[in-house]
Amino acid sequence: MNTRVSSPILSMTDVTKVYRSGDSLLGASGSRVVALDRISLDINAGEIFGLVGESGSGKTTASRLIVGLETPDDGRIRFDGKDIVGLKGRARREFTRQVQVIFQDPYQSLNAHLSIFDAVCEPLVIHGIGDRASRRTRVCEALETAELTPPEVYLNRYPHQLSGGQRQRVAIARAMILEPRFLIADEPTSMLDASISFQIFRLLHRLRETFGVTMLFITHSLAAARNLCDRVGVIYRGRLVELGTARETIMHPRHPYTKALLDAHPRYGGSNHHGFGTLLDVERPRPETDHCLFYPRCRLAVENTCNLQAPKMKNLDAAHRVSCFLF
Amino acid sequence: MSDKNISSPTRGNTSCHAADRHRSHWVERFLDGWSVYRKNTIGRIGLTLLGLFALMALVSFIPQWVSPIYHPMTGVDPLISHSTGPSMRHWLGTDYIGRDIFSQLLAGARIAFMVGISSALISILFGTSIGMVAGYAGRRTDLVLMRLADMIMVMPTLLVVLILSALFGQLNIWVIVLVIALFRWPGVARVIRSQTLSLRHRPFIEAARVSGASHLRIIFRHILPNVMPLALLYMTFRVTSAIIIEAALAFLGFGDPGTVSWGMMLQWVWKTGHMFQAPYWLLPPGICISLITMAFYMTGRAMDDVLDPRLRKEETQA
Repeated sequence: MNTRVSSPILSMTDVTKVYRSGDSLLGASGSRVVALDRISLDINAGEIFGLVGESGSGKTTASRLIVGLETPDDGRIRFDGKDIVGLKGRARREFTRQVQVIFQDPYQSLNAHLSIFDAVCEPLVIHGIGDRASRRTRVCEALETAELTPPEVYLNRYPHQLSGGQRQRVAIARAMILEPRFLIADEPTSMLDASISFQIFRLLHRLRETFGVTMLFITHSLAAARNLCDRVGVIYRGRLVELGTARETIMHPRHPYTKALLDAHPRYGGSNHHGFGTLLDVERPRPETDHCLFYPRCRLAVENTCNLQAPKMKNLDAAHRVSCFLF
Repeated sequence: MSDKNISSPTRGNTSCHAADRHRSHWVERFLDGWSVYRKNTIGRIGLTLLGLFALMALVSFIPQWVSPIYHPMTGVDPLISHSTGPSMRHWLGTDYIGRDIFSQLLAGARIAFMVGISSALISILFGTSIGMVAGYAGRRTDLVLMRLADMIMVMPTLLVVLILSALFGQLNIWVIVLVIALFRWPGVARVIRSQTLSLRHRPFIEAARVSGASHLRIIFRHILPNVMPLALLYMTFRVTSAIIIEAALAFLGFGDPGTVSWGMMLQWVWKTGHMFQAPYWLLPPGICISLITMAFYMTGRAMDDVLDPRLRKEETQA
């Protein structure tokens, strides 16, 4: 277990993001979707933090907020103690040198019209680093870091000439070329085969070991999170429901939703079956009042408690926190 | 973290200078497109016709060089003072003051290309940049630019040019080109804008933003190459409409009197009352206008076939 206890490099405090659709200029409001609801979490320097949740739970929104592709409606995001919401100009450029993203779909995240060299080199050009020759060397080194060897073979190719795994490695090389301190991997393997995924996980692990880069790993797979992460946060419909070390959270889940996620995991044979059975077969109607968001699906829900107020995060022990009335 | 940290232990070849020479990306794309295009019959016909017209434009300098009496504008045959039919001396006959119709026809091809392509280029330049900016910037910029486009789009180009020439007298051919271009960009801008909208939230654009790329860089480096084929396609359609507008203007008598365009030739036929007396004079420019617009249109249609599957493929996104 990696326990590199240090100060948080990234901290989110009560971050809220609401998407409104159908808004017109006149201010007539359409429907609201709460993508993130008062999320608070700290990511420590050097760790790999996993954010786990089903699709639509807001995990990708969290990453977009961190890198400034969107702005939160409420709350603060601090990187290295400095507020990073709405950074502009020089400050933003400096920030983008330190925080990079690996996107989900390697077929979409590379511009089809740029050669691999141009794609990987672009961050250097943007930040005005190096001259022609030194950039070339750095691109080659970054490609080697991403285990594309020999790099010369790839320089003049175009994305459509590469496989999905190779493209994702190019994306990783591009993200790593600025030697960022913080890397967000947004489901980097969801479009790849299982065997390729495993190689990418190993690569991410190695990046952390070699460069000490802190990672936010976003995934819907508990297995991937268990494999790669030091700590995980489980997010359900925009709310953080459980937070703890990867081992503790996944081997001994507390929140009924985390248990339901584990139940949903396919297994060989039946020997290791958890069988928490925390999911209702028929959903309850959604209460009008503020409530635990999992209440409609939760078998363990307590009437007159779970449907009347939202639970708060409780510390179970030093590292493990859960948001549920059962504890 | 320092520079040397990033090198991996497996590095055998540090130099990285042994670049294998590939054909350029754009050449490859062009050849790809060409292999689809050449299977298209309409496209082949259109391109052949265009080739013929281009040849006409190229050789349009030869007649006046052979003899000054073949100059399309000033070359008057001293032996002829009225319109005559085709002969060995004048292959397509002469007009009402004895100028050679064949050499006028060749000069007309040159003017048609000049007007069509330059005004299409200008309107594509405007349309593409305005469309990209509107689509990328969104919000108020988009609103303002697109309403402006709507306003210009509903203005009848021909009428505006007629009014302009009524105000300022005979217009120079380049003024006509410019006015046509300025009134034909909104259609292009709309198409490019919608394409840009679909590109704007693609992961590779967001990846560039995350890397700190400026808006200009994103527009020119990432969006432009992706909308370029569409812009070229629209250019062929803009050529067609520019040629037709210029011909109509000239026929109505508002053309540049210093140039010999096909529309101008038609105007001379009509003005001098030879409309139904001299088919050898009336038909060639008429047929040429129809054929050249058809040729550009066919080329555009065939290009559309080349681009369309790719466009559809690119538009499917998660």
